[in-house]
Amino acid sequence: MADVTWQNTDESAVLVKPRRNRLMFIVGGVALIAAVVYLVVNAMSGSTQLYKTVGEFYAEQSRLTGRDLRVAGWVIGDSIVYTQIDAHNSRLEFDIVDDLSNPTQTLHVVALNEPKPDLLQNQAQALVEGRADANGVFNANPGGLMLKCPTRYEEMAPEGTGHPESIAVP
Amino acid sequence: MIADFGRITLYVAFTVALYAIVAAYYGARRGDDRWVRSARNAIIAVCPLVALACALIITALVTGDFSIAYVSQVSSLGMPTYLKVTALWGGQAGSLLFWNLLLSLFTAAAMLTKWRQQKELMPYVIVVLGMVQLFFLFISGIVESPFVRNLTIPADGNGLNPLLRHPGMIIHPPMLYLGFVGMTIPYAFAMAALMSGQMGDNWIKTTRRWTLVAWLFLSLGLILGGRWAYDVLGWGGYWGWDPVENASLMPWLAGTAFLHSVMIQEKMRMFKMWNMFLVMLTFLLVILGTFVVRSGVISSVHAFAQSAIGPFFFGFIAFMFIFSLVWITKRRESLRTENQLVSYLSREAAFLYNNFLIIAILAVVFLFTYYPLISELFTGEKGFVGPPVYERALAPLFAALVLLMGVAPLTMWYRTSIQRLGRAVLWPAVASTVLVVVLFILGVHLWPALLGFWLVSFSAALTLWEFAKGTRARMGKGENVWTAFTTLMARNRRRYGGYWIHMGVLIMAFGIVADGLYQSETQIRLTAGESVQVGGFEMVFNSVSRFPGADDLLITQADVDLYKNGEFLRKLTPEIEFYQRSGQPMTIPSARSTITEDFYVILVNWEPTTADAATFRIFLNPLINWIWAGGIVFIIGTLIAAWPDREKAPARARKPAVVAAGD
Repeated sequence: MADVTWQNTDESAVLVKPRRNRLMFIVGGVALIAAVVYLVVNAMSGSTQLYKTVGEFYAEQSRLTGRDLRVAGWVIGDSIVYTQIDAHNSRLEFDIVDDLSNPTQTLHVVALNEPKPDLLQNQAQALVEGRADANGVFNANPGGLMLKCPTRYEEMAPEGTGHPESIAVP
Repeated sequence: MIADFGRITLYVAFTVALYAIVAAYYGARRGDDRWVRSARNAIIAVCPLVALACALIITALVTGDFSIAYVSQVSSLGMPTYLKVTALWGGQAGSLLFWNLLLSLFTAAAMLTKWRQQKELMPYVIVVLGMVQLFFLFISGIVESPFVRNLTIPADGNGLNPLLRHPGMIIHPPMLYLGFVGMTIPYAFAMAALMSGQMGDNWIKTTRRWTLVAWLFLSLGLILGGRWAYDVLGWGGYWGWDPVENASLMPWLAGTAFLHSVMIQEKMRMFKMWNMFLVMLTFLLVILGTFVVRSGVISSVHAFAQSAIGPFFFGFIAFMFIFSLVWITKRRESLRTENQLVSYLSREAAFLYNNFLIIAILAVVFLFTYYPLISELFTGEKGFVGPPVYERALAPLFAALVLLMGVAPLTMWYRTSIQRLGRAVLWPAVASTVLVVVLFILGVHLWPALLGFWLVSFSAALTLWEFAKGTRARMGKGENVWTAFTTLMARNRRRYGGYWIHMGVLIMAFGIVADGLYQSETQIRLTAGESVQVGGFEMVFNSVSRFPGADDLLITQADVDLYKNGEFLRKLTPEIEFYQRSGQPMTIPSARSTITEDFYVILVNWEPTTADAATFRIFLNPLINWIWAGGIVFIIGTLIAAWPDREKAPARARKPAVVAAGD
């Protein structure tokens, strides 16, 4: 600390009474907090998704149509169709349900130009990000397919291993 | 046999830990050293007991004793032995036992080092560490025991989750664990200082040192996790703002804030209460993270994985929170600050801004991670926040932090004049502006990229300038460059270790900005012999072959050749690995990696019926290796800063350190 500067020639370094000083830090702090709150609100506005099950989606279909959703359900294996349209375009379709033993309400999912995920199999748990259109077809966002494998492994994976399955499969 | 023996071992460990707490507290209150020493022996004895329990479960894993449920869940006969051993942390119950083991090892280490210097603190350190150990022994012994038997003994086990059968995955979880568990030690010393009323310099030094050690492991765990995701998960990225990733990032952030603000306490005797709060926050975030990772409360949509451990963890977190607050309140008098901030342009103010930014980042990550729970609580609808929202909200905060990283070391304690600061930043500002102009001419036109590169290179230039200044000062005393540089490091490891860490972060930041804004992605279906042009590269698809791998693995491997400007670079072999017994496939990417960019290709689809056609996804990841290189620099820096001091430094007699600023 030998060369601490005490020169007060610059107005920014001139500080007088502790009380005024304190007030300045409080005002500054409040301003900074307000800035962070603004960042958060601004980042979130219109960008949050709602979690819904298939049943919950149908219960409020008209309200939820066109809104960004994350719909969860179980995959019906027979419904999986992967079509290669041309070199650059592909179409992946499958149905999800809330209850595999009682597949009454199914949601038809369409994902364009998405590879068929490794874990997309019968009875896999799917989490799809996207929007439903007026025909009730659920169009997945790019990279919006997430799958958990049929649970042959421990349901609760340990430290650092729970996330891979919930990360978007390309 | 093993199951019974294991369970009994854990019960004994539990009893011994309980005794240690009682004896330590009683001894401290009565001032009776014999009780304290007995407590110390008891808490150390927990370590071999837990190690024995681990050895038992490992024996069962290696010998394939499928009468134990845990063994049949995470191992199989065909697995290689090293994987059977690492299956100790491959499942919930085993990983909690592993937690116990690491905690008991850390505790023993804390007991065996510097006992004499910390004599007043130690009984309370035993009490706090004992409470944490007791909780985890309770979980491992009763709630989530790895020694539960199978009702019917299967012929073979399920085997380890394929995602865990990667070398990176073998070291990544233990590193994170070491970081997580390690944070218990500084917390225990902080609480011990409060409980004993010994609020001198002693505890803060010990706490800082242990935090640095735990922080080193946590950083390593985070970096390895990113690398593993990039190498194995095949989605072209390394960080996804997933709840589990965030769960380990949050204690890291709190620890980072503490490691910075503790310097103000040491130099200026300020922020004492705040530092206590940070130590407590780090510890509570560790426990919360340990729980969240296991519970699936956040990532799962349905409550299908309701774990028995949930209520216990919440109870424990609440208890430790109240326990900490009570003691902080009780000692608030001795936590009073002894100095005031006099200028907003000073070293201590810079640390304050640093803490503000880090805690703001932590708060945002916390809010977004727990948003599903929070929104459900307030609106009745479960909402979710995706990675783009994180990036939008956090980018400005990280940018400010990068700027501060460069400028803060130039400030002086008490106050710094703006002219002085202006002079110090002039040349680095010019250099980084020149760099950005060059980048613009080379074709970088996105303004966030230009701003990002400017900030990062500006701070990097300032940091390098600090090294240069220090070295030059020593060279003035007749040392050659190398001696001057290394002595500078050795004499002031904490300071220059810190700058190395900053350099590591800045190198990583360069890669993060480049990859974040310039990553490109192409999906293409090719028939054999066809090729695709991507960003100056040409990839030719030759063939696909299918062959069996180790254990029950079936490998489908594509063979592609990579060219640039007509020149053959190398062969790439992206593959799909299929674990036949479990029916789980994994996409393993293949990449040509250079310091400027990675050509990263994934085999996404191959239908055996149309054997000569395959679909690929290609990522061009610019400067992604800078992230890993920066990670290495970061770890080197942490090692420099954390390296133990020699007890009596003979070097001090020769020459006083000649470093520039007032540190």
